[in-house]
Amino acid sequence: MIGVVFRKELLEVRRSPVLLLSMASLPATVVAVPLALLAWLLHAAPEQALVFVEDVYRIRLPEGAFAGVAAAMARNWLPMFLVLPIFLPIVLTAQSVGGERERRTLEPLLATPVSTLAIVAGKSLAATVPAVLITWVAAVVFCLGLDAIAGVWLLPDAAWTFGALVLAPLLALFGNATAVAVSSRVLDPRAAQNLSATTVLPLLALLVFQLAGRLALGTGFYIAMAAGVALADCVLLALAVRVFDRERLLTRWR
Amino acid sequence: MAAIEAYGLAKSFDGRPACRDISFQVERGEVFGLLGPNGAGKTTTLRMLAGLYAPDAGTATVAGHPIAPGRPGSAALRARVGLLTESPGFYDRLTARENLLYFARLHQAPARRCDALLDRFGLGAHADRPFAALSRGMKQKLAIARALVHEPDVVFLDEPTVGLDPAATREVRAVVAELAREQRTIVLCTHHLEEVERLCSRAAFIAGRLIAVHEIRRESLLRIELAAPVEPDGVRTLCHSLRQEGAVLLIEPRAEVPEIVAALVRSGARVLAVAPHRDPLEEAWLKLLAEAGRP
Repeated sequence: MIGVVFRKELLEVRRSPVLLLSMASLPATVVAVPLALLAWLLHAAPEQALVFVEDVYRIRLPEGAFAGVAAAMARNWLPMFLVLPIFLPIVLTAQSVGGERERRTLEPLLATPVSTLAIVAGKSLAATVPAVLITWVAAVVFCLGLDAIAGVWLLPDAAWTFGALVLAPLLALFGNATAVAVSSRVLDPRAAQNLSATTVLPLLALLVFQLAGRLALGTGFYIAMAAGVALADCVLLALAVRVFDRERLLTRWR
Repeated sequence: MAAIEAYGLAKSFDGRPACRDISFQVERGEVFGLLGPNGAGKTTTLRMLAGLYAPDAGTATVAGHPIAPGRPGSAALRARVGLLTESPGFYDRLTARENLLYFARLHQAPARRCDALLDRFGLGAHADRPFAALSRGMKQKLAIARALVHEPDVVFLDEPTVGLDPAATREVRAVVAELAREQRTIVLCTHHLEEVERLCSRAAFIAGRLIAVHEIRRESLLRIELAAPVEPDGVRTLCHSLRQEGAVLLIEPRAEVPEIVAALVRSGARVLAVAPHRDPLEEAWLKLLAEAGRP
């Protein structure tokens, strides 16, 4: 049953150009903007950029200006990448759960013998799998682009590898479970999407602090973060199944 | 054992009662109507019986599966009932076939039934069109096909013709009539008296609570239209019952029609028309509503 729901959800996503476009736009921005900025900076004023990086981030790299500035970018941009696996499932799940109600497809679905767990799991898989795949593709493009600009092998390093392979799936589950729980309680899919999207704010805060040179997050931090997110996933997924109250979903507008 | 047995079902939302004291039985192969004005609790009753809502009070058995207060019908119950919801409720970007196949898979029904149903309801040529591109009548017929895809024991039809144009209404009514002829157990929820009158053997009148279960007698009464009122004493012995309304006689015949007509002619009557008289459901409905103290 999970597979049946999963395949239908994927088919719907594939048939929705607007949804695909909205899913592609954020990763494209997250990859293209920093790489373009880096390339322009290193082309225009490489030495000044290196001085700035050494001054703000207090790092000194022997490979020269290009590698030094790119290394700073490599280290600091990971939190922004981790926003992707949270945000993308939120877009899909909010549409999937809230959209069912809006399009009046929820009643026929709930009238079938399919279990709540199968509905939530099928929809969750259909939201997290594309989100993780898109994040991986974006990460590969970013790493290759950054290495090409730097002229040396900088990425993926340990933090990026751990972030992509472990943290991204965990964060995708987190974003999805949040969106399922919120969509089960909030009538409008857009409102559910906006509310759920606030979960990326802590990551954005980390990004800001790191870019400002106030934080230097390493692999150790990301491992600890993964443990915390894994725990939150278990709690949130259990909550998502619990609040996916079939009768309440049908009677919310009463 | 009856296909549906409901005893004292009640449901409220946020303290506001939707329906109460709903009790009736539906026999296997019977087409049973749920009649009532908008907001009378028909859909709520249907949803309780289809396993979507848990009743606050009362019990029911549907296709042998129990429903109890606070406990909605199980997955096993939902597997044995087919529900036509008030709006078709399909996925716009999937084709008619993909939509039907999805629900067939959720019911673990064989995929081959989808094509058979699409053909049966004249949707075969439109099976690969997106659902959004289908006409209203086609959409509703697809929804009926979905309700039948797993060969349920009981079919619930919630307002099957609401919002349809006259052509689509005619199409959908023909499909429902076809299902009725197949001796399926059907509960037809509607506020159109003529649908119930035409298709159902009995109907429950609901207006917040069950007012009555009314037996619809079709063709048991004979309506004889005369040119002018006459004293029908000559035919009384040929009838179980006789009611005269001016120049119209409503009789429950004991003898054959030609015999009754001949007796009338002998009494000096000029017979203009003889036809089966359909049960005046509207009258019964209004009378019951008045008795129940509702406008």
